[in-house]
Amino acid sequence: MKTRASGVVLVIALLVVWEGSVRLGFVQSSNWPPFSAVLAALYHGIVSGELLSIIGSSMWRMLRGYALGSALGISVGVAIALARPVRLTLEPTIELLRPIPITAIVPPLIFVLGLDDRLKVICIAFATFFPVVTNTISGVTAVDATYLRVARTFGIPRAQTIRSVIVPAALPYILAGLRTSLAIALVVTVIAEMLAGDQGIGHYLLSMQYALRAPEMYSAIILLTLVAYCLNRLFVLWENHVIGWARSREVHEAP
Amino acid sequence: MNSDADERALRIDALAKTFGGKQPVMVFEGLSLDVRAGEFLSIVGPSGCGKSTLLQVVAGLLPASGGRVLLGGRDVTGAPAHMVYLFQQYSKSLLPWMTVEDNVIFAFNHRLHLGAREARERSREHLAMVGLQESASAYPWQLSGGMQQRVAIARALSADPKVLLMDEPFSSVDALTRMELHALISELWERKRFTTVLVTHDVDEAIFLADRVAVLSRRPATIAELVATELSRPRRAVETYEDPRFLALRHRLLERLLRKPEELDAAPR
Repeated sequence: MKTRASGVVLVIALLVVWEGSVRLGFVQSSNWPPFSAVLAALYHGIVSGELLSIIGSSMWRMLRGYALGSALGISVGVAIALARPVRLTLEPTIELLRPIPITAIVPPLIFVLGLDDRLKVICIAFATFFPVVTNTISGVTAVDATYLRVARTFGIPRAQTIRSVIVPAALPYILAGLRTSLAIALVVTVIAEMLAGDQGIGHYLLSMQYALRAPEMYSAIILLTLVAYCLNRLFVLWENHVIGWARSREVHEAP
Repeated sequence: MNSDADERALRIDALAKTFGGKQPVMVFEGLSLDVRAGEFLSIVGPSGCGKSTLLQVVAGLLPASGGRVLLGGRDVTGAPAHMVYLFQQYSKSLLPWMTVEDNVIFAFNHRLHLGAREARERSREHLAMVGLQESASAYPWQLSGGMQQRVAIARALSADPKVLLMDEPFSSVDALTRMELHALISELWERKRFTTVLVTHDVDEAIFLADRVAVLSRRPATIAELVATELSRPRRAVETYEDPRFLALRHRLLERLLRKPEELDAAPR
């Protein structure tokens, strides 16, 4: 069991156990459909387009929140790491806001932002922001002083130094933050949709549970699993493309 | 001739540097040195005497604690344009996320604002000067140490320096590569005549490349000796090292550098 195949085998085995537990009568409950029924529900949901438009709306919501939170996280992180006054001003607030569970701020935010997309996008951005900002600060702080001296000796303007020296040098850290945030953003998307409004995969999941339509409920979970898996794979591919230099350099410089 | 009129002339005037803290360390004090326009000057000194610190203060990378640096008769504040510092650690001075070609473009294009094609051409011209046009699209870390330092040299020259400050740039490559780099920098200097200050602990290298050699004393450092090499150019890797004048100078400077600290310290602290 040394190959990748062993991992796949276990997944399949678990799914077979799921199917068997129903077929062989170990579990008898309308809340526990066989895996094949879930697959059928997933298939119908996709073919009819219903599930696709639902997950699509969730992804669009998530993407906007993620982009907003990431952009803010990177810019605020760079500003905090480079400018002491900014650090002194913002850090206490950030430290206070960071531990707040995102679910706790949804109810009050509903008063301000309503139940619409705005609320959810803001919640996703809020949750995305913190890992990105802290990683960006670490990354910028860790930039090798020689790179900065090189920029100085050639008289590179400050803005260009930030853009073409500091941010690229800090990118491995920043991307680590972005990757953490990606998983968090998906979680928050589903939770926000469960708590407010009538759209998205989170809302769908919950309504299927209320309607006692177990196969549809599980099909939503399977779909989320697949989406999360694909998002992460895509992110890793992109990461390798963007900071491939950092990894290859390590390999090259290892004695 | 008033050398100050030439914008390549570098005057170091009563320069002082003290690192603060609970126990301030006086690295050098009242250090004066005139580097003539277009001259190649080497500074040698015992390790830890503050050679690199001196060079960084001259380059405007570190603030001085006293005295001043004049370039072409004008006070140097910050890192002046046309004064370029060549770092010892090429592996940290080349930007690893940029190709070799882009590393060179990085050094000049914020001033020249060339279009993509012209910038690439200029970058390749300078890479050709150091024999690396083939490696333009490689990443620095894919090259050997000697090649990386050649990229750093090409990058420095692409910024059209009037003054080039070199901080032990040849200390981390093997002996043969070092001699190749000596020949290269010598040739480029003869072609372009930028004022050059080389800081090194290698007496042979200091004499081989320079018009004049300055010897630093121990801390707080001052110029203990300043001698003209008076060796003919072009310098040759084999012959120059056998020149009696070279050997005599080498003898004199090594003896001075290897003397015990108490004998060396002429000036009382």
